[in-house]
Amino acid sequence: MKGYEYHKPQTIKEAIGLMEGLENAKYIAGGTDVMVLVKQGKLAPANLVSLRNVGELLYLDLQNGVKMGARVTHTAIANNEFVRKRYSALPDGAGVVGSRQIRNVATIGGNICNAAPSADTACPLLVLDAKVVIVGKSGERQVPVDDFFLGPNKVALEKSELVTGFIIPAFGDNTGSAYIKHARRLAMDLPVLGIAARATIKVGGSEARCKDAFGAADDASGIIECLEAEGLVFEDVRIAMSVVAPRPMRAKKAEEAVRSKAISEKLLEEIGEIAASESQPRDSIRGEAWYRREMVKVLTKRALLRSIERVIRPDSTAFPNRLW
Amino acid sequence: MENLLYIGKDIPRTAEIDKVTGRAVYIDEYKRPGMLYGKILYSQYAHARIKSINTEKAKRLPGVRAVITGYDIPDVRVGFLGDQAVLKRDVVRQFRDEVAAVAATSPEIAQEALKLIEVEYEPLPAIFDPIEAMKPDAPLVHESDARGRPLRSNILPLPWKFSAGDVEKARQESAHIVTDSVTTTWINQCCMGTSGCVAEFDSNNNLTYCGQTNVIFGAKQRIATYLKNIGLKGKKIRVFNPVVGGSFGTKLDTDIYEFICIQLALKTRKPVKIRFTREEEFAVLPPRQAARFTVEQGCDKNGLLTFRKVEAILDNGAYTSWGATTPSVMMLPISSMYRVPNVSFQATCVYTNNIYSQAMRGYGNPQAAFAVETSMDHLAEKAGIDPAEFRLINRNHPGDVTPMGLKITTCPLEQCITTVKEKIKWDEKRGKRNGRGVGMASLIHVAGGARVYLSDGTGIRIKVNEDGEVDVLSGSTDQGQGSPTVIAQIIAEATGFRPEDVNIVFGDTALGLWDAGTHASRHTFVAGNAAVRAGEMVKRQILEMAVQYIPKLLKRSLKQQKKKNPDFVEPVLDYTMVDSPEKLDLKNRMIFPKDAPDHPYFRTEVGKILTSGLHVGVGESKAVVAEVFWDPPTEMLNAEMKGNYSCTYAFGTAGVEVEVDRQTGEVKILKLVSAHDVGRAINPALVRGQIYGAAYMGVGFGLTERVQLVDGKVVNANFRDYKILTANDVVPVEAVIIEDPDAAGPYGAKGIGEPGLVPTAPAIANAIYDAVGVWIKDLPITPEKVLAALKAKGD
Ligand SMILES: Cc1cc2nc3c(=O)[nH]c(=O)nc-3n(C[C@H](O)[C@H](O)[C@H](O)COP(=O)(O)OP(=O)(O)OC[C@H]3O[C@@H](n4cnc5c(N)ncnc54)[C@H](O)[C@@H]3O)c2cc1C
Repeated sequence: MKGYEYHKPQTIKEAIGLMEGLENAKYIAGGTDVMVLVKQGKLAPANLVSLRNVGELLYLDLQNGVKMGARVTHTAIANNEFVRKRYSALPDGAGVVGSRQIRNVATIGGNICNAAPSADTACPLLVLDAKVVIVGKSGERQVPVDDFFLGPNKVALEKSELVTGFIIPAFGDNTGSAYIKHARRLAMDLPVLGIAARATIKVGGSEARCKDAFGAADDASGIIECLEAEGLVFEDVRIAMSVVAPRPMRAKKAEEAVRSKAISEKLLEEIGEIAASESQPRDSIRGEAWYRREMVKVLTKRALLRSIERVIRPDSTAFPNRLW
Repeated sequence: MENLLYIGKDIPRTAEIDKVTGRAVYIDEYKRPGMLYGKILYSQYAHARIKSINTEKAKRLPGVRAVITGYDIPDVRVGFLGDQAVLKRDVVRQFRDEVAAVAATSPEIAQEALKLIEVEYEPLPAIFDPIEAMKPDAPLVHESDARGRPLRSNILPLPWKFSAGDVEKARQESAHIVTDSVTTTWINQCCMGTSGCVAEFDSNNNLTYCGQTNVIFGAKQRIATYLKNIGLKGKKIRVFNPVVGGSFGTKLDTDIYEFICIQLALKTRKPVKIRFTREEEFAVLPPRQAARFTVEQGCDKNGLLTFRKVEAILDNGAYTSWGATTPSVMMLPISSMYRVPNVSFQATCVYTNNIYSQAMRGYGNPQAAFAVETSMDHLAEKAGIDPAEFRLINRNHPGDVTPMGLKITTCPLEQCITTVKEKIKWDEKRGKRNGRGVGMASLIHVAGGARVYLSDGTGIRIKVNEDGEVDVLSGSTDQGQGSPTVIAQIIAEATGFRPEDVNIVFGDTALGLWDAGTHASRHTFVAGNAAVRAGEMVKRQILEMAVQYIPKLLKRSLKQQKKKNPDFVEPVLDYTMVDSPEKLDLKNRMIFPKDAPDHPYFRTEVGKILTSGLHVGVGESKAVVAEVFWDPPTEMLNAEMKGNYSCTYAFGTAGVEVEVDRQTGEVKILKLVSAHDVGRAINPALVRGQIYGAAYMGVGFGLTERVQLVDGKVVNANFRDYKILTANDVVPVEAVIIEDPDAAGPYGAKGIGEPGLVPTAPAIANAIYDAVGVWIKDLPITPEKVLAALKAKGD
């Protein structure tokens, strides 16, 4: 491990300026990706430009959507009551990154800029239509997060460009979202795959009866039947998947297939199938391709149901496991 | 048993405070003046010819003090079958083959130097499947044996073969028969402290060796043999332990890195430390032995077992360590779990180009128990009997002599099974097939020593200082299992002192008497027995002194009182109450007449007697010291693999309730009850600790853990991809202690270090079957396997 210089700019401008002038330099936020790579010898930067002291990157504005600085930690996201309620998929993801120790220092900016195919906040940001705010020497630009991921660990950043934050539009309270991380253990694990969903719904009949169904039914079919009977329609849907492609991706065909459709067991099966056909999983030491494809089917359905539940039963925190 | 002051009490582990506060000196912190750091270069191939090695660049790196290869040191073979060299010449046979080593002034420089060593290889055909490796035309892993004689096969000359009764006849007479194939894989022991050592020679080439071994005299012997073979005959060797962060089998054999460290120390004339990174610990340290079993069992129409036939194939890897000897412990469940009159067992060890294996908690028992206990459920189903009932029908009884010749003494297996049944709500929950299910499995393990070498002995020395401090020198080791507390309790009880008076020094060949090793769940039993005996000797010596000094001290004191106060009326005392050691007792540091424990005059603090014995002025003074070397009456297995190799055996049962997600194949453990026969719990909190820890290891063995090899290479050499359970994955474990004191044990205790792991995985597999009707007999039981089986079944 060769030595590196550690720079501590105070402002965005200073950070970009440093980055412009330095050879073989790398931004470092929480360092939980960077330092691992350095220790493994996979990254040997001559200069590290720390974002730790750049106060401009630390904000969380929840009026009219979410405006969130790149340096916000996973813990800060996971613990925010309002975000949990209205943008549930995001804290679902941030809350399961690594371990408590990691979440306390690791940032959302780092997670997205590192662009691992398995990044736990990537799918949530994809389904929440988030935009990435980028500042470079020639000013600011905004890029939909879907256009930001280029490939494994590759993002649409030019040299010296910095991600300053993210913008998530406001959704009405007929919108719910969820992220399911499918991993082998409950901490310190990368997902075998991750699925996020967002559903904007309309209920023709009685919401109260839907609510009762969520509370009482002992399997998913019972709930779906009731939702169908009450005329639940998917007005708009987003589905995103991780680990099943070189980069976190949206299942756009599946999204299209559900839009404006009434819920039914058959429809949910279909969405899963379509999403699975869009995925391109591979065998790896962490999971087999066939299994990942199967899980896309199962978890897409579950993530959608969980999103619906969050609209209909916003106060229930625990999604009952017995549904499956 | 008479009322005991310290046995059976949850005495806290005060000796461990240094560990949790970071003061303890592990190998990481252990430093010597001028010490260098060693690093090892491993092979890039699973099988290849070394065409050339160039170390020139590495040698020139500033800070590098030595670079050695197999060509720089004598070509001496080491290991249990002598099938490998310390640094490999000519051919590498596995990815972990040590090709070169560096000593430098810092670990970073040593690491950097490794990158400068140029090795040219010519790849050779490699073989990774033991079944393939057994075929006549398979590429040979070794062309010749340790003595240079040509080899024609990859099958090791280790004929593990056992037979009792007539299996063929019993098979014909059986009403029900089942056959199953079972596979278990490599498991890393995952010690918190990684491997390491420091070797240091003095000017006379005598060696001081700080290593983590839990067999200090065995290690010393192996090192002595190695030194002799490289031309250093008759050198003095002292082996001692730093604080050790777990062993679980990894410190039984002397590993290759230890010999390399010795070579680097010899070459540089400096103390040298080698310490593994976690990646090395995963990729290089031998894991639990992987095995495949074919198990066939039968029973009669009443459900009584008629026969059991097991064949095992062990992937030996490229060289041989203790993994190849695990069949000696696989024998326990195969021959002796439940009453089974006719048994045959055969194990074949096969060389491959995979990594080789060694011991891990339970030795071969968890692997074999997984085969036997899943087959038990299968057979119970075929016979139409509830699996718990089936186990009860066939359970072992006190007084049984098993086909292997194990003499069962105490055996509360019935209580273990019924306790688990009750606590897991067996009758209510069994047989629903609704995604939730319960399963159980039992175990038998050595619990009263284990004669795996010619000696099963251990020695202990106790000296009592004048202030009543009890120093103990034990030839055993402490790798974190709680022995400083448990042995102190035993000594306190036996001597009449308090546990906090006892100070134990473990793990130093210069101080301790011979010990066969702190392994095989034997430490509390053997060291405890030695401690009781030595403790009683100490007590006897003190009571003899008390006979002499109590009257003297008392008379002197009375005289003084009289002198001070002329009106003092001397009490009338019956000195015959203290005129023989038999009439006295010592407890909690107080000496007193047995007939009058609270006697106002005779009751004496032990320190006064000890001081009186030493400071006599004129005459013979006396220091209290006792020494016991104790070798239990155990037998070594004979050529037929028969013999009573432990004084007593532990039984236990695990019951598990699971929930299986039929769509994802995920298994969630809702409850795990583990009931264990421990004879007597010397320290119930520590016993439960052993059961919890072992049960967790068993859950990992059952569900998540595996060292993944791709063409011989470990591809998950880190905790991210090696799925040991985390604190977040808590499984609710209820540890139940079943006490049935065994006459052979110290205060009735049996060993409990390993048992908790053994029945856990089969109980999980059996519970999964109860929940969703699929058998997964290939460990670990991953969601993929469960889902694939469910799909194959048409669910
Ligand atoms: C033990 C452990 C467990 C983990 N578990 C998980 C997990 O479960 N799920 C998961 O998704 N991740 C996991 N990670 C990965 C990591 O913690 C996350 O990706 C984290 O969010 C990275 O954030 P950071 O602030 O530490 O990034 P850093 O390491 O500081 O940076 C990561 C990358 O982003 C760049 N970067 C950072 N900030 C900016 C910015 N504002 N603008 C431009 N570029 C920037 C850096 O140059 C670098 O390339 C784990 C890591 C560890 C060590």
